[in-house]
Amino acid sequence: MILAPKAWLPLLLACSACATAGSLEVVAATPEGKPIEDFAVVLEAAAPSPTKKTKSAIIQRDREFNPYLTIIQTGTAIEFPNRDPFKHHVYSFSQPKMFEIKLYAGKPAKPVVFDKPGVVALGCNIHDWMEAYVLVVDTPYFGKTGQDGRAHLDNIPEGVYRLRYWHPRLMDELPTRELRMGNENVRLTLKATVPPRPAHNKPPLEGSGY
Amino acid sequence: MSFRSLRNRIVAVFVGLLVLVMAMVLVLVNRSGDQIIDGVIERQLKSGARTFQILLSQNNSQLEIAAKLLASDFAFREAIATGDKPTILSALRNHGNRIRARKMLLVSLDGRVMADTQNPSARPYPFPLPDLLSNAEQSVPVSTIAAMPSEAYQVVVVPVFAPARLAWIVMGFRVDDAWAREFASISGVEVSIVRKDKGGINTLATSLSGELAADLPKAAARLDSSHSELLTLADSHYQSVAEPLDKNVLAILQRQIDQDAAPFRTMQVVLWGILAGGVLFFIVGSFLLARRITHPINRLALAAKRIETGDYSDALAVRSQDEIGELASSFVRMSEGIASREQKILRLAYQDLLTGLFNRTRFLQALEELSEGNPAAIALVDLDRFRHINNALGHGVGDHLLIVVGQRLDAISRGSGLLARLGEDEFAFLLPEHDQNAAWAFAETILEALRKPVEIDDQRLDISASVGIALFPQDGVNASTLLRRAELAVYAAKKHRSGIALAATVEEQPEPEHLSLIGEMREALVRDEFVVHYQPKLDLHSGEVIAVEAVIRWLHPERGLIQPCKFIPFAENTGFIREITPWVLEKVVDQAARWHESGRKLLPSVNISTYDLLSAGLVETVRALASDQKLTPGLCLEITESALMEDPEISLDHLMQLAALGVRLSVDDYGAGQASLAYLKALPIHELKIDRSFIHSLAQSPKDAAIVRSTVALGHALGLTVVAEGVETEADFVWLRQVGADLVQGYWIARPMPASELEIWLDKRQRWAVAAN
Repeated sequence: MILAPKAWLPLLLACSACATAGSLEVVAATPEGKPIEDFAVVLEAAAPSPTKKTKSAIIQRDREFNPYLTIIQTGTAIEFPNRDPFKHHVYSFSQPKMFEIKLYAGKPAKPVVFDKPGVVALGCNIHDWMEAYVLVVDTPYFGKTGQDGRAHLDNIPEGVYRLRYWHPRLMDELPTRELRMGNENVRLTLKATVPPRPAHNKPPLEGSGY
Repeated sequence: MSFRSLRNRIVAVFVGLLVLVMAMVLVLVNRSGDQIIDGVIERQLKSGARTFQILLSQNNSQLEIAAKLLASDFAFREAIATGDKPTILSALRNHGNRIRARKMLLVSLDGRVMADTQNPSARPYPFPLPDLLSNAEQSVPVSTIAAMPSEAYQVVVVPVFAPARLAWIVMGFRVDDAWAREFASISGVEVSIVRKDKGGINTLATSLSGELAADLPKAAARLDSSHSELLTLADSHYQSVAEPLDKNVLAILQRQIDQDAAPFRTMQVVLWGILAGGVLFFIVGSFLLARRITHPINRLALAAKRIETGDYSDALAVRSQDEIGELASSFVRMSEGIASREQKILRLAYQDLLTGLFNRTRFLQALEELSEGNPAAIALVDLDRFRHINNALGHGVGDHLLIVVGQRLDAISRGSGLLARLGEDEFAFLLPEHDQNAAWAFAETILEALRKPVEIDDQRLDISASVGIALFPQDGVNASTLLRRAELAVYAAKKHRSGIALAATVEEQPEPEHLSLIGEMREALVRDEFVVHYQPKLDLHSGEVIAVEAVIRWLHPERGLIQPCKFIPFAENTGFIREITPWVLEKVVDQAARWHESGRKLLPSVNISTYDLLSAGLVETVRALASDQKLTPGLCLEITESALMEDPEISLDHLMQLAALGVRLSVDDYGAGQASLAYLKALPIHELKIDRSFIHSLAQSPKDAAIVRSTVALGHALGLTVVAEGVETEADFVWLRQVGADLVQGYWIARPMPASELEIWLDKRQRWAVAAN
């Protein structure tokens, strides 16, 4: 109720002719030209899409969640293996999936299944700065930019899609848009204002080699 | 208060200087005090403002800590996530209570108040400070003092993360008067929170009380945040500065000047007190000091006044060792000096330098001091023939003689009375309480004392004296009368060789009119009241008037014609004769000259007194006339036999000189005195005038007739002209012609008359003589 997930963001794109299976390449950068990492690119088909249930994991290491952004199809289960020598307390107050895994070490007994679409923010009750996002979508066609700001979506069947963008710290309102995919490769470039991740007050570990 | 007074001036200078110095100090203290106060106020205000800001930020951090604590509470976040409003409100209240925060809100990310502890049942409403939220998105956390809407709160906005931002916690303290007072008590400045908008200034909270607070909005209107200003609230002065807190919200910090100025005002009051006390002290002190200075000076001034009046008796008792003491002792020495000099002067004034006895002045003074109830006698002592001794043996011997006489008289005067030397050889005793007999006895003592010869330079001088006694008050009540009477008595004593004479028995008492005449004589001479009358002298051989005797008359304006016997003796005794005789000589010589010019051959004769004869002045006067060629008609001077005998030697000397000047000399009143023929023989005289007493008694006394006859023969034998005066009958006239007298004069021939009458008389007589022939 309280949680207001970030709106689906439209973007400008350049489109070419459609094919039976195509690919989409998105390059995201700040207006200053700095590549944006962890930019989610999601294509939602008008018709029902095949389910692509996979298993995923968000590791806790060095008192950080890794990866920062995980995109999954609805119904996917995520493991939260703890690689640190101390316990974590993972929780989510996000509407699509509220849960908590109370103080634990090693691998929890069972993974968490994300059965509703939406954005789920993850935190650790012990370490305030630890944060991670799980974007739960109803489509198998999604991808996220790497450090170079590039995302590649392959084997996208021909058809009409709604193109959405999302980023945990996205400042701009990016409009959604329709995208007709063919068998060709579509390249999109977009500019978005994403501030860097705030520097959390992460204390050093006593006696550690960090 | 007169500034002529030294004392007042000293006081004025002292007090004036003190007031001046104190005024300068006060001005300086006031000026620097104001600066100090300004500085203190400014510092107080600044430090108050800093303290205020610190308190503010402390409050903020308190709020922030509490809010953050709440924001990081897992259960709270869970309550938010699950929309558990009762739990949210409860948690908010719980954390708010810990720090006594009044305002506790949970605000959704879209700016709606989801939970409000002050209004738990309210439906979600827009957070009234949306700007605060957008600020909070930029910097975390954010705090301010804000009006919501009519009440002011110090609020912080803290985000709730889970881990993405979940909501806002807004926590606030109520900013009210109590809050302001608490801040004021800690910061030391008055704290007011106001909202400033177009409508003016609204006070949200203030530590000021009552009317001060009421005055604030109006007074603070002109305040801006750039610098501090002096505001006046209800007559109190506040240095004020505005600190912006929020868009329209200001904190006005004020420091009351009076409060900081109080110690200084106290100091000022103390200073004024010191000034007043100092002035008072100086007035009293300088007054006392001035009095210490002026008191002796005033005493000196008083002493000077006493000295001015001749009173030297009161010695000054100024014992101080300072300059004034020195002045006083100088003053004492000065007054002693003046006193001794004055005594010396008095001595000189009252003492006879030769004998050391009192002088005439002192004696007269003593006489003036006699009082009616106390009878006294004066005994006037005159040495016999002193002038003769003086001339014969020299003034040295004469002076020595006077000294010895003075000593002898002084020896007998001890205890008897006052002794003075009145002049030349004249001494006088004032004998208090002596009656006639006692005075007579004392006079005999005097004569006894002088009977012993005096030895001077191996010379033995036999001296004698005559004493005249006058009694007070019988013989006179004033000094001059008494002295005069005594002098007359001395003359009588000399005349009769009686040694002692009483004034009471001497001649007739001088009529009072005589005494006043003496005083008038000088004026008479000036007013030309003296006239000269002439009595013809008839030559028995030729029957012609060949000479005239000039006699002086006084035409007194009130008493008429006064005979010379009434005033000439006094003129002689007072010395005034010295002025009369030259005047007469001048008149007579002039008249004779006029007659001579008109063809009348008349030899004028003038009577010369003893005084004239013995003084050198007469010779000089005559010599002056002679050198003026005024003696052409000739001049005859008539000198009494007694005058000649007064001092034969000087008389001789002077007569020789006069004779040498061509003056005829006539011995007047011949036969009444004791002139020896041997003496007369030596004199350069030309004429004898037989004393009128012999002529008067010619008819009755054959003896007198014999004397006259033999005198005429004697005169002729000595080659002198013989004159008979006082001829009053024809018988006398005939008889005198028979015995061979050369010249006659008297009433039978003519009385003395003015020159003009004489001329008429002479003319008539000439016609008569012609007719007779």
